[in-house]
Amino acid sequence: MSSKLKKVVDESRDGNNPELDLGDRGIVNMLEVPGLMELQNLTRLTLCHNKLTALPPAIANFLSLEILNLFNNSIEELPTTLSSMPKLRILNVGMNKLYTLSRGFGACPQLEVLDCTYNNLSEKSLPANFFCLDTLRALYMGDNDFEVIPPEIGRLKNLQILCFRENDLVALPKEIGDLVRLRELHIQGNRLTVLPPEFGNLDLVGTKQVFKADNNPWVTPIADQFQVGASHVFDYIRSDTYKFLYGRHLSANAPLPPKTQDKSKKISRIKK
Amino acid sequence: MAAVTPAQSSAARNRLPPMRLQSLNDQTESPLFQRRRNAQDKDDYPLFDISAIENGFDGTGMSLGNAVCRRCGDGFDMQEQIINSNGEVWHTHCFTCAQCFQPFPEGTFYEYEGRKYCEHDFRVLFAPSCGKCGEFISGRVIKAMNASWHPQCFLCQLCGICMADSGFVKNAGRALCRECNAKEKAKGTGKYVCHKCHDLIEINGLIKYRGEAYHPYHFNCHSCGVELNTEAREKDLELYCLRCHDKMGIPICGACRRPIEERVVHALGKTWHVEHFVCAKCEKPFLGTRHYEKKGLAYCEIHYHQLFGNICFVCNSIINGDVFSAFNKAWCVHHFACSICDRKMSQKTKFFEFDQKPVCKNCYDKFPGELKKRLKKAYEEQGKK
Repeated sequence: MSSKLKKVVDESRDGNNPELDLGDRGIVNMLEVPGLMELQNLTRLTLCHNKLTALPPAIANFLSLEILNLFNNSIEELPTTLSSMPKLRILNVGMNKLYTLSRGFGACPQLEVLDCTYNNLSEKSLPANFFCLDTLRALYMGDNDFEVIPPEIGRLKNLQILCFRENDLVALPKEIGDLVRLRELHIQGNRLTVLPPEFGNLDLVGTKQVFKADNNPWVTPIADQFQVGASHVFDYIRSDTYKFLYGRHLSANAPLPPKTQDKSKKISRIKK
Repeated sequence: MAAVTPAQSSAARNRLPPMRLQSLNDQTESPLFQRRRNAQDKDDYPLFDISAIENGFDGTGMSLGNAVCRRCGDGFDMQEQIINSNGEVWHTHCFTCAQCFQPFPEGTFYEYEGRKYCEHDFRVLFAPSCGKCGEFISGRVIKAMNASWHPQCFLCQLCGICMADSGFVKNAGRALCRECNAKEKAKGTGKYVCHKCHDLIEINGLIKYRGEAYHPYHFNCHSCGVELNTEAREKDLELYCLRCHDKMGIPICGACRRPIEERVVHALGKTWHVEHFVCAKCEKPFLGTRHYEKKGLAYCEIHYHQLFGNICFVCNSIINGDVFSAFNKAWCVHHFACSICDRKMSQKTKFFEFDQKPVCKNCYDKFPGELKKRLKKAYEEQGKK
């Protein structure tokens, strides 16, 4: 196995290929791949479907790296050095065992796409500077444990894609209405009952937009509008009738809907 | 005048000053004597007056047979009346004005460059006429402002004082006395003077026509004839009211609906002010840079691709060449790959959808069973709708 890996790494170095695929090769530790850490010119490194449990802090030595793909590993923690990678644009840490993002993660200077799908993250596990990532255009947080989205989400002005599919969200912050460039929103499979009236600022009903909101315990008026179509939902929540109803709903302090998903079988939770 | 006798020529030579060369009495019959006597008589009259004499064939047998008419060169009949002037002779019908060919009224004529004119024609042809009253000027002539004037007619155009002796100043095409000129100069500082009436024009009340300032009310619209105001415009050396000007095939900006008088942009089947032809998204003017058209709207390069999906999801750059499109996203040929393992895919590769991203079959198969179950359920619910 190791000699095979060495051959791939050597070929990459000799061919001066800036993109390296090391997917599904049973790698446990990057440092054990001979010569890998010396490939300083890499722009893309794909390590999906491996058995990594951690990343070495020396990952930050890949100064040219733009795309880092760690999908489907067993990583529980990211090194703090990650946020110093000057050219990192796309980071895929989906399907790992992350309970937190590293401290200072929000300092990543160029991050455009962050994919944390299928981990164990929640609003409590985000570092304080997370919403400084104003270069972000796509944030994938599907299959995590968020109950609320922090209001600071409104600072991610360049966000075009936002996915909180199948979390435990009970409410959306009104600041989501500040994401004027948003054209794709996944909030299906949560515990949402109402939408903030500011949500009406968003334009998500055209043919070029994606709006997925199924499988939520919507209040009846909203559920009725969803039956007719998404555009009717937006028309409705922009109305004064709805603003009144929304205010009354908040002051009524209705009990939160119960959690419906059984996450015990998620592989991100399974301990070895 | 070929046959001239020596006596005649001698007499002609000595005609002026008149003096008697020979002591001849009145009975002398020689034609030389006759002419000389006439010339002498004439000296008592104005210079050009003439006297007519009878072609007298009296008893002396004196004859004018060898004299000829100054004009036609023919001789004279025996009893014919002959006109003698300055020692030359004419038939009566030949002695006429060089201009109108009529006899001279009262025998008075004016000679100019060898030709004789009646008083009327001489004045018409050569005498100066006054620029104010139009009458001929004899005596003192004032030459000023490209015209001639009687001294009593050359007046200040403002106060009417006679300027024949005091002198004048030219002010905006007018002849003014020194006092009036000084007043006008003080009044007109910083103002325009109408090129037609020479009055001052308020700065906001003027129009420019062929480079000169005018009061607008001196003109009418070349098209509809209405009296012009300050909104009048000049086109092809004619003046038009604003309404007519705007209608005359002058391009109208597709954005502001106002006529375009400077550079015209032709695009989208319309005309535009350069600064009004802008991206439909960011509203920045193209200013000659490339624009992209879609459904009757123009976009800058960035927003065209951003709006119409031709920016690669991975490299976030505009796609040159083939575009892969799926799930409302686009990829360049180099970056169309499985979103999990980054393996390149082609048009023929089958893939699954996961959060609106493509996943190859190999990666999908590696998904945990419980996720696949959920995805399948969601897919089926989607199908039901």
